[in-house]
Amino acid sequence: MAATGDDAAAMDSISRAPAAQLAALNAAAASSSQAKAPEDVAEIPAVVPKKTSTNSDGGVETAEEAVEPAEPDINELCADMFEKMAVVLQGELTGTSEDYRLLENMNKLTSLKYMEMKDISINISRNLQDLNNKYASLQPYLDQINQIEEQVSSLEQGAYKLDAYSKKLEARFKKLEKR
Amino acid sequence: MASTETQPRFGQSVKGLLSDKVGSCSGDVIALTRQVLKGSRSQELLGQAARNMVIQEDAILHSEDSLRKMSIITTHLQYQQEAIQKNVEHSKNLQDQLRHLLK
Repeated sequence: MAATGDDAAAMDSISRAPAAQLAALNAAAASSSQAKAPEDVAEIPAVVPKKTSTNSDGGVETAEEAVEPAEPDINELCADMFEKMAVVLQGELTGTSEDYRLLENMNKLTSLKYMEMKDISINISRNLQDLNNKYASLQPYLDQINQIEEQVSSLEQGAYKLDAYSKKLEARFKKLEKR
Repeated sequence: MASTETQPRFGQSVKGLLSDKVGSCSGDVIALTRQVLKGSRSQELLGQAARNMVIQEDAILHSEDSLRKMSIITTHLQYQQEAIQKNVEHSKNLQDQLRHLLK
């Protein structure tokens, strides 16, 4: 931050220097000390118009340094520079923020899917509980079916015994008939 | 980051120094931003999180598919239970008949 302060002070001194130097130039314009003027002109090229003329006064030929034309609108250029800097920084940060946005969307979709699955699970749980209750109410009937099955098997045994007895009777009857 | 070259060099105007300084400051700001982003490791972490989410997506879809099948099977079980309910009501008569037969 010290460096920035130094730079700001330098920039301030540069911006103040033309005003101070201009006053000094006006005062020195009437004087014949034109040797000093080139140095001042060299330091404040943005304010003093271009002077490439050579003056000769008293046998001494002097020349002034050719300076670049002043920037037309430094404020606009500075604003443009800062705007573009802001765009660059915004671009740098946009990548990470887009990653976060992507992850946020993925999480939202996943949470929606889990909510649907939760609803389905609740329905299944409710239906299975009803089914369990209904199957519990069917239990006496299932016991009756077991009893019916036992009775049918005992009936079948009785039918087999009857069948065997009737066959024995038939054989004895035929034997007696032959006599 | 701080440049201490504030003294004018031979053959270099103050304006040139100023423009160099502005350029270096701009570069420093951008480099600082990039370093902050790199130091936060947000890119790696977010990328890893996205990859893990993509891996999980297959399991989530499979789970959802299984749950939907389970709900269909539950519905079929309900239909079967209703059919059983209708038919077991005849078993009482059947049992009475068998009891008479076995007497």
